[in-house]
Amino acid sequence: MLNNNIDVLIIGAGPAGVAAGIGARKQGAEHVVVLERDWDLGGILQQCIHPGFGLRTFREELTGPEYMHRFIQQAHEAGVEFRTNTMVFQIDRNSNQVWTMNRERGIECLNPKAIVLTMGCRERPLGAIRIPGTRPAGIYTAGTAQRFVNMEGYMPGKRAVILGSGDIGLIMARRMIWEGAEVEGVYEVMSWPGGLRRNIAQCLDDYGIPFHLETTVTKIHGKDRLEGVTVAKVDANKAPIKSTERFVACDTLLLAIGLIPENELSRMAGVEIHQVTGGPVVNDLLQTSNPAIFAAGNVVIVYDLVDNVSDEGLIAGANAARYAAGEISGSIRRIPVKGGENVRLFSPQFVTGESDTTIFMRVTRPIEQACRVFTTPEFYTQRLRYARPGEMNEVKIKAAQVKAMPDLQEIIVDIQPV
Amino acid sequence: MAKKYDVIIIGAGIIGSGIARELSRYKLKIAVLDKASELPSGASRANSSMIHGGFDDKPGTVKAKFCVPGNKLWHKLKDELDIHLDECGSYVCAFTDEEKLHLEKLLAQGNANGAPGLEIISGDKLREREPNASKEIIAALWSPEAGIINNFEAVAAFIENAQTNGAELFLETLVTGLIFETNGDVKGVNTNRGIFEAPVLINAAGVHSGEISQWAGDTSFKIIPTKGEYFLLDRTTQGFIHSFMFSCPSKAGKGITVAQTAEGNLLSGPTATEQDDPEDNSTTPEGLAEVLKGARRLVPNFPVNLNITTFAGVRANTDTGDFVIKALENPRGFVNVAGIKSPGFTSAPAIAIYVADLLRENLADKIKFIPNEKFVPERRNIPRFLYSSMDERKELAKSDPAYAQIVCRCETVTEGQVIEAIRRGARTVTAVKMLTRAGTGRCQGGFCCPRVAEILSRELGVPLDAITRHGGDSKLLVGRTKEFLLNKQEARLNA
Amino acid sequence: MISERKFICVSCPLGCGLTVTLEDGEVKSVEGNSCPRGASYAKSEVKDPRRVFASTVRVKNGKLPVCPIRSKTPAPRGKLFEIAQAVAKLEIPAPIKIGQVLIHNACGTDVDIVASRDLESA
Repeated sequence: MLNNNIDVLIIGAGPAGVAAGIGARKQGAEHVVVLERDWDLGGILQQCIHPGFGLRTFREELTGPEYMHRFIQQAHEAGVEFRTNTMVFQIDRNSNQVWTMNRERGIECLNPKAIVLTMGCRERPLGAIRIPGTRPAGIYTAGTAQRFVNMEGYMPGKRAVILGSGDIGLIMARRMIWEGAEVEGVYEVMSWPGGLRRNIAQCLDDYGIPFHLETTVTKIHGKDRLEGVTVAKVDANKAPIKSTERFVACDTLLLAIGLIPENELSRMAGVEIHQVTGGPVVNDLLQTSNPAIFAAGNVVIVYDLVDNVSDEGLIAGANAARYAAGEISGSIRRIPVKGGENVRLFSPQFVTGESDTTIFMRVTRPIEQACRVFTTPEFYTQRLRYARPGEMNEVKIKAAQVKAMPDLQEIIVDIQPV
Repeated sequence: MAKKYDVIIIGAGIIGSGIARELSRYKLKIAVLDKASELPSGASRANSSMIHGGFDDKPGTVKAKFCVPGNKLWHKLKDELDIHLDECGSYVCAFTDEEKLHLEKLLAQGNANGAPGLEIISGDKLREREPNASKEIIAALWSPEAGIINNFEAVAAFIENAQTNGAELFLETLVTGLIFETNGDVKGVNTNRGIFEAPVLINAAGVHSGEISQWAGDTSFKIIPTKGEYFLLDRTTQGFIHSFMFSCPSKAGKGITVAQTAEGNLLSGPTATEQDDPEDNSTTPEGLAEVLKGARRLVPNFPVNLNITTFAGVRANTDTGDFVIKALENPRGFVNVAGIKSPGFTSAPAIAIYVADLLRENLADKIKFIPNEKFVPERRNIPRFLYSSMDERKELAKSDPAYAQIVCRCETVTEGQVIEAIRRGARTVTAVKMLTRAGTGRCQGGFCCPRVAEILSRELGVPLDAITRHGGDSKLLVGRTKEFLLNKQEARLNA
Repeated sequence: MISERKFICVSCPLGCGLTVTLEDGEVKSVEGNSCPRGASYAKSEVKDPRRVFASTVRVKNGKLPVCPIRSKTPAPRGKLFEIAQAVAKLEIPAPIKIGQVLIHNACGTDVDIVASRDLESA
């Protein structure tokens, strides 16, 4: 429990943080500490009790708790120190001092050599989309409802409408059904689903739950408890079409309208935040604009697959260990990455050429035909059957390819129809 | 058995709670009744929280009489009662020469009302101080004494201090009728919780004060419920503007304002839509569009994408256009403090003192005004972890481990604060929110609502599914998992 | 008789759109799959559609009031609600170990229901 000589301090024991701990220890860092605000390790995956995690890593589909169980075991074996019930409430941007609180130990100040931010993401709240009407009980983000159902054992309602088609919303639709509740329908303002197609199939279609595209909730009704919502089709500008409005009775509205990196501490630490991803700007070492601070997982960019989050955690942990050992100096931003016209967001934003790297990206608009994902200069190209905003794409760049071009000014990542 | 008091106050908004505190300086048995489950409710909950400079009201009106003294009192009360008041000052912005002339009129009016420090400055000067202000603004009236207050804290401070000094608060207590003595004087009220008797009855029922006044036979004014809608933006907008910015008032009212709240959020509103229903505080597409238009007129790059919530309040406008503060001749003992809209929050402390004087002068035969030697004027706020120094935080955490547990991430609220709010009377998630700010941040309770509900459940010794959002039927949860399945006969899944 | 059915494969996050051609109820061909799992999913979906069931079970004296559970292997789709009701009736004392079998041969499906996390006593 020594607070001095922490080589790598990791904030958050979800999939990214646990992997970062493993990565840092395997790289040789002596004292690696992962802080977790909850009593339990595992982060949000402990409430994601459905299968669908880790197919790539473990060759089988695990539930969230099962996936974390395996990684936590590995971390214990690797000699990672965990501190639960410990919350970071402040990071001083000049000294990189980290302030923590814990019921037994009170308020403490840690001075690690390197920090990895792995706080994950949070759900966009109702306020972000400004639906008019009343403000009754019964409106929850899908993740909050998931916590109530899966961790506390309580039902948020008997008849739900789901706004937005992010994966958690789809998963919660089926979860509500499996608890004997009703789900009236899922409403998505965009012309395409926010979540994976297989979740539309196995969470909605299996149970006959209607899925309405280009439709949104335009009004909330009910004084104390939610009594219903008005839904309407939207036009090309996403403005509701008055004549299509109809009332839907429900006692619960679940929101699955997107995830955004949890950046409270990132901001406090003074690292540069990317305008589009909402997470820290990072290079391929997953180093932020503050050379001692690294970041991995959904705190950087929201991933589809936990396997990617764990991979990134391993990389960030290893590089933080290298930084702590004095093997990396300064914040390296050799070659900027740029996105093509239909690339909405991507990460990392800089490539050092020090190691092989994967750049993850999402398209703005779906391409429902054969297309290819590629870089300019052409380090990588791959044919795709389609590209959809709900499904991340990636390009892989080898260190040798970058090193071979010492005058390289930028790398463009793009996805275009062929 | 009827409960017997010296004074009954109907309504625990900023007016009723302010009067309760003022009267608690005397050895009086005071009952404050409010139909809500949590305070503040009604217009005191949802308003601009502005402490006005005092130039808006025509000299000679009741409003003008109380606004400037009220402003002065708040600057003192903020320390005495430990309330956040940002003494930010305000600007009335003129876009045309005609509006600029109007600023001159407001300046003269303010001077006549005794509002200190008023000054007309150029648009350029304004933009030096407020770089985000519109380039179209040609002049502005600066009022240095104006400010913005944490309205939740202000009402809590008044009512808590009144309670400390002996007043009793009854929530979820709806007055359903008045009771009179055989000589016609006031005797008490009927409520859903039985009869409360007192020879003095103060009607501070806000948007419902007209109806209660009618029960007493005073039909000299009518309440016109007037909805005001607002946007509230993320605290990361802090510093976007620094002061309270008004458009030039028109016949439609003071117009849309943009301000930074005492807590650093950007606030814009209100609309002024007359309606029949005093309880309808829903927001509307039209209203929100109007606010956005007004906000962008003052600050063109108003960052509405950082909106965290929208809300509406219903104000008690009167057909007379002024406050109604008077002790009735008949029935004796009945006092109207009604139709208090803007600048009602500002005026509240001055109105409270005036009402105490009014009772002393007119109703001394009914109740005895003996000074309460034990009166404690000070009230301390619940410790605010966010604003505490690191040493204070360490002290808090040492004194009670619950202060070393964050409940609300966005506003850095600790479990210790939530427990203290419950100790002070919070029974709902929204009550905790108003007293501690847990849930007022950018995730709007997504993270802390289940945690606050758990703490309420544990501290109050009730099951989690008995906890409500804001009282009444606003239960957060509808039962345990598995119950539906065990009760359900039809096999929907097999479909 | 030749007929065609369309499915979204749920075997992995790719979610391939499968087209299955049937002759007299027998699978003749599967198109649209990216891997062999897609073909076997399509065949199973035609004859005996199965899903992994995941829910929670009530816990006595646990660190949490409920513990996540799953069907160890995919269970017949038509039996899921019956299994859900069987699970709803259980109350398991803590501590619980991951993989602990809570119901053997649930509702005669030959599928076991197991705990999907460790859960300590309160």
